Amino acid sequence: MVDDEESSSKSVRRLAFSQRLSRWDVKVSPYLYISPFFLLFALTGLFPLLYTGWVSLHNWNLIGGQCKFIGLENFGFVLGQPYFWNAVGNTLSIFLLSSVPQVVLALLIAAVLDANLRAKTFWRMGVLVPFVVAPVAVGLIFNNLFADQFGLVNEFLGLLGLDPVRWHSDQLASHFAIATMVNFRWIGYNALIFLAAMQAIPRDVFEAATIDGAGRVRQFLSVTVPMLRPTVIFVAITSTIGGLQIFDEPRVFDQSGLGGADRQWQTLTMYIWELGWGQRNFGRASAVAWLLFLMIVLIALVNFLLTRRIANQGGRK
Amino acid sequence: MKFPRKLAALSASAACLTLALSGCGADAPKAAPSAETGKEPVTLTLATFNEFGYESLLKEYESLNPNVKIQHKKAATTNEARDNLTTRLAAGSGLSDIEAIEVDWLSELKQYPDQFVDLLDPAVEGRWLDWKTEAATTQDGHLIGYGTDSGPEAVCYNSALFKAAGLPTDRESVAQMLGTTWDSYFDAGKKFVAAKTGAAWFDSAGAIYQGMSNQLEKAYENEDGTVIAAENPAVKDVYTKVLNASTKDNLSAHLAQWSNDWVAGFQSQKFATTLCPGWMLGVIEGNATGVKGWDVANVFPGGGGNWGGSYLTVPAQGKHQAEAKKLAAWLTAPEQQIKAFTAKGTFPSQVKALDSEALLGQTNKFFNNAPTGKIFAERAKAVGATPFKGPKFFAINDAMQQALTRVDVDKKDDAESSWAKFLTAVKSL
Amino acid sequence: MSSIPMIRQTAGKGAAKAAARRPNPRAGRPRNRGGAGDIRRPGPLTYGALGAVLLASLFPLYWSFLVGSHDSTALSRGIPLLPGGNFLANAAKVFDSIPFWKAMGNSILVSTVTSASVVIFSTLAGFAFAKLRFRGSKGLLVFVIATMAVPTQLGVVPLFIVMAKLGWTGSLWAVIIPGVVTAFGVFWMTQYLRDALPDELIEAVRMDGASMIQAFWYVGFPAARPAAAMLALFTFVATWTNFFWPFIVLDPSNPTLPVALQLLQAAHFVDYSVVLAGAVLATIPLLLLFIAAGRQLVSGIMQGAVKG
Repeated sequence: MVDDEESSSKSVRRLAFSQRLSRWDVKVSPYLYISPFFLLFALTGLFPLLYTGWVSLHNWNLIGGQCKFIGLENFGFVLGQPYFWNAVGNTLSIFLLSSVPQVVLALLIAAVLDANLRAKTFWRMGVLVPFVVAPVAVGLIFNNLFADQFGLVNEFLGLLGLDPVRWHSDQLASHFAIATMVNFRWIGYNALIFLAAMQAIPRDVFEAATIDGAGRVRQFLSVTVPMLRPTVIFVAITSTIGGLQIFDEPRVFDQSGLGGADRQWQTLTMYIWELGWGQRNFGRASAVAWLLFLMIVLIALVNFLLTRRIANQGGRK
Repeated sequence: MKFPRKLAALSASAACLTLALSGCGADAPKAAPSAETGKEPVTLTLATFNEFGYESLLKEYESLNPNVKIQHKKAATTNEARDNLTTRLAAGSGLSDIEAIEVDWLSELKQYPDQFVDLLDPAVEGRWLDWKTEAATTQDGHLIGYGTDSGPEAVCYNSALFKAAGLPTDRESVAQMLGTTWDSYFDAGKKFVAAKTGAAWFDSAGAIYQGMSNQLEKAYENEDGTVIAAENPAVKDVYTKVLNASTKDNLSAHLAQWSNDWVAGFQSQKFATTLCPGWMLGVIEGNATGVKGWDVANVFPGGGGNWGGSYLTVPAQGKHQAEAKKLAAWLTAPEQQIKAFTAKGTFPSQVKALDSEALLGQTNKFFNNAPTGKIFAERAKAVGATPFKGPKFFAINDAMQQALTRVDVDKKDDAESSWAKFLTAVKSL
Repeated sequence: MSSIPMIRQTAGKGAAKAAARRPNPRAGRPRNRGGAGDIRRPGPLTYGALGAVLLASLFPLYWSFLVGSHDSTALSRGIPLLPGGNFLANAAKVFDSIPFWKAMGNSILVSTVTSASVVIFSTLAGFAFAKLRFRGSKGLLVFVIATMAVPTQLGVVPLFIVMAKLGWTGSLWAVIIPGVVTAFGVFWMTQYLRDALPDELIEAVRMDGASMIQAFWYVGFPAARPAAAMLALFTFVATWTNFFWPFIVLDPSNPTLPVALQLLQAAHFVDYSVVLAGAVLATIPLLLLFIAAGRQLVSGIMQGAVKG
């Protein structure tokens, strides 16, 4: 009797142990799997974020490192600067001029690439080539195109009988030129992201739609786009976050890298660079960086809600 | 949102620890006691940018001092080298044993003399032109760097355009005509423009301003650090003069220097003269390939001017300060600078080098075989006192250049409104 | 649309059977109605539009090659549309002036290690966020996305300080470690796995007694393959072309390619023909990668659609 009870209790215990192990596996594994990211982020993301927050509350020169605690004075000062608001406006303008065409054109290109083309690899990899062109080459080409007096675009406009556009003096024109540079680089990239998602849509759905009598455009709007909703949201968020931090393209747009004599195309990240590395005022640069961070979070959130709404409506037709 | 609390605590303490160790009023690295340069093997790192012409010199030094190995780190453009230097100074580590710097960075780096070893040494006294050493000496007499090359300026002109305008074309007559003051330079320009060749006199207001403002004794700041840019009548004076010449007298071609349009302007022959330091000759030759007629006149309005030039510094972070100082002194000796000059055309700033045969005999084929060595040697000697440059010089000068560009190149503002914007920018610094 | 439940079925294990059951697409359908499921080849208009896009995409690379095959006067005098014969001479100059092969080796090492680790860690994290239920998963995912909003200019000085304290300045570790897992990668894999990996599959394999990590390895990772391949490609290219941080933290004696190429611009008058020749040479390995990976990617993507 005792043996039976002992052995049964032993086996119960053994079962409990492996069960516990499995339960522990289920509970802990998720945290384990996401920990590499968070560990790394703590080092390379959180620490800089906190450090910069700390710096922004002080009077801090980049080399000298003076530390006089001045609280939110840097923030107050920066918010009162016309150049700050100018940079905000420029950033938003360039962002809108680049993100919207990017997403729309990337979708269209992906739709075309999705078709049954000959030499698929060539077309699909071809659109990614702009992503690998060296920035120095991109800078040279676009400066040649958009130079005010001797640029190719202005020459072309002259042939058409139009006035030359002052790409480096006129604020909106400069935004347009820079947005073109940005779009050039990222449209193919986003197109491939959409393409991957489109390819995951089973063909049967389109069969059904065709049988229901929907034409190509209708299918695109009513089938493809709604099915791509998560991807569209993904691209919208990532291109928002990236688009509000545009730095390389406006920097190569002219020789001084400050954003134009009247700051016509100075984005917020360029303003941070000017304050921090140009004027060596690390405190103010950090304040602007934190403001930019908050702005990005806010706008990405808005974008997320907006995109979800739009993509939803497309599906309900 | 539950962020692992332990992790937050860990990172916060790490941050505090790091902050305590770096920056924030921490002591600057102490200069090592001047140790004797012994015979133990040592590896020195030397960081330069652009073209210093040191390649064969370093090998020579290594053979003269077998215990020393030199690692030459060639950085990229000046702007990037400056960013790199700034980041590593801010982080407190990572600099080479010898760091090359540009003259434009001095006004700021002189604020932190503790970061650099004092290189003052009776052995090198009088080696350089006065204005060269003055620029690198702090008010306490702390010498931050040994001068390497310099950029004495002359006036380069396009004789073909001069001919088309009926003006003299040989160097001596041109120098006579241009005169020794800015007024005479502008007057010659008015004569040129009146002949309506389709070209302008100079490339941009910004370029001329650079030459003129470098001759002001005190431009933007006082020695005690107060900013006087707004009230200094000399600054407003130069500003108005330059813009009048550019816009009212139409002497400017409205091409911002280094821009695409400026490069193309050489080919289209859009301007007849430009202020040129020695290192600019190569640039003009490259941009104006195929254009015939460029020449150099041995004159500079206002007497003399200098644009550019570098120094070798020994950061106090370094571990081999005595050896580094010895190497820097050797590299910047007149004999070595001449060798560098022969290799890469870096114009010397050492007094003895200016009298050397190799230098004085140099001519430039593209510029009509002008005796450029002789010309620039004389121009170097003609440079007056260095203007005082305070810590905010860089930033204020940038703001000024932007103000000029707004009027001259962008044509968005007139002189008055652009000046108002300049004042706002200066106030915000 | 009512096709949604159908998708649930067709994207799972049943998809292969469904594909076999699929009727001949050409039978019994009006001629001129074609959708994306149309096997019929697209017409000349499509190819024309695509051709224009490709022309714009490839032109800058071709232009770089053009300038690189002339000499230093190319940019100022205007370049003809045909290449000159100077490319090899310029390439030789590139090899002489900078440690090109060392930089290439470094770039290959850094890019490969980084993309491999990004794929592994991102898929792992994506698997957790997408398929596993745990407390705080929603909030943590939002946090991950928010980390993308931290401007990089912000991080340069503190990150450099960290690297200096660890003694890694000048070493390739300083470039690899910060890139070992990215928020973009985690976000991308999460979003992909949500739809592409059916819960039933995981449950089935768990019931067979697999541990979490086995579930991930045998089910999650294969399902993520198409997206993982895409992520690997993107990460490789992005790491290869990254200039700023390697420039700050590495030494010119141990550079990656973009840093080494920048050295070609160190002169008062920049010979852009040599610079662009260098740029073209640096792009060739990526183009080779495109060709090799492209075929894999295309077939991989298609498989993903059918097998799920």
